Amino acid sequence: MLLVLSDDHKEHLAFLPTVDTAVVGEFGRIALEFLRRGSSPKIYEGAARKLSVPVDMVQHGVEGLMFLMTESSKHMISEVDFLDSVLALGFGDELNQMLLQLYLQHHSQIRSILSQLPSNLPAYQNLEWRLDVQLASRSARQQVIPALTMRLLLTRGSDSRSDHSIRVLQADPSTLLHLISTLEAALAAMKTSHSRRILRNIK
Amino acid sequence: MELSESVQRGLQSLADLSVFDQSGFQVLVDASFRSLLSSHADPGVLDQPEFKRIDQILLKQSHTAATTFILEAVKQNADKSTISSCLEELTFSAERIEIFYSAYQKHKKELGRLLASIGRRAPQINDVSWRLQYHTKNGQVDKVNEPFYSISLNAENEGSSEDINFTCTVEQLQDLVGKLKDAAKSVEKASQM
Repeated sequence: MLLVLSDDHKEHLAFLPTVDTAVVGEFGRIALEFLRRGSSPKIYEGAARKLSVPVDMVQHGVEGLMFLMTESSKHMISEVDFLDSVLALGFGDELNQMLLQLYLQHHSQIRSILSQLPSNLPAYQNLEWRLDVQLASRSARQQVIPALTMRLLLTRGSDSRSDHSIRVLQADPSTLLHLISTLEAALAAMKTSHSRRILRNIK
Repeated sequence: MELSESVQRGLQSLADLSVFDQSGFQVLVDASFRSLLSSHADPGVLDQPEFKRIDQILLKQSHTAATTFILEAVKQNADKSTISSCLEELTFSAERIEIFYSAYQKHKKELGRLLASIGRRAPQINDVSWRLQYHTKNGQVDKVNEPFYSISLNAENEGSSEDINFTCTVEQLQDLVGKLKDAAKSVEKASQM
């Protein structure tokens, strides 16, 4: 699969061959940093001053790189397809190889960043538990009521800016056994020939 | 059991043959347990033909005293000898003590559960539902191809129910089930002590 680069995108990236390869390397580092932590206009200004070019140009160059990296990571294109895709930019061999290395080294991390974007449901993180026995209360003495107190840790979003939520819940012993058997059935569903067939065929 | 003066007075009139005849006594004892056990107390609980001839103020005092006595007995987990000696002091006949005690025995467990459930607790899990899904792609990433579970824990807190939804991978669900099984093992061990 080849990437189809728009004219705007090509124009933005056209800035790259006009600067030193070390600068392109630096842009690549900045692009990845921005993908991880979000962009910061101050860095664009600093780089533009050093290179004595307009801020727009630097910003377009870095954003063009970010877009190139996210698009190729999104489709997980092969090494050959990546090189063929950037051929359309008309860059030299050295620059193309540099972009390829950038892609190959970072595509799995970019994919993991991208995959966290659409998940707005909280995800399971951990479960801590404690066995409690209620012995007495204001309204009744001499009780023996076992209960499992649980602390369910959930996270939402990526690790760096994650939003933890903690839920404290209780279950009586019979409900606990019911939970275990229901969730074991869920795990068993994964091993059925139906699920395995789907997993094997949709690749 | 320590009882206030008004409760003692109410119980004494309940013991009094000239106020409550045998059937009236039986009906009042049953009505007292019933008014404690039904979640929305029936306002007509004292509206019985057996009570027509009884002074309404005495009737209400006896009913209040009987329910208070029952709650106190269940709260203290009182045994037969405690209840008998207490009622004897309040001039109950052996026959009336027997009638009261058999009703007490019948409803004690349920009342105990009711009293133990009073007070703040963490939300109670009632049920869990699950869905197995295969994440193939989304707007940001192609070829994700990862199975995952959507889990919904149904919990109840002070009468209102709530669903706690989250997703987990197969490994995470194995982790969760493993921890729940550990917990179940310690519940079992503790129950054998």
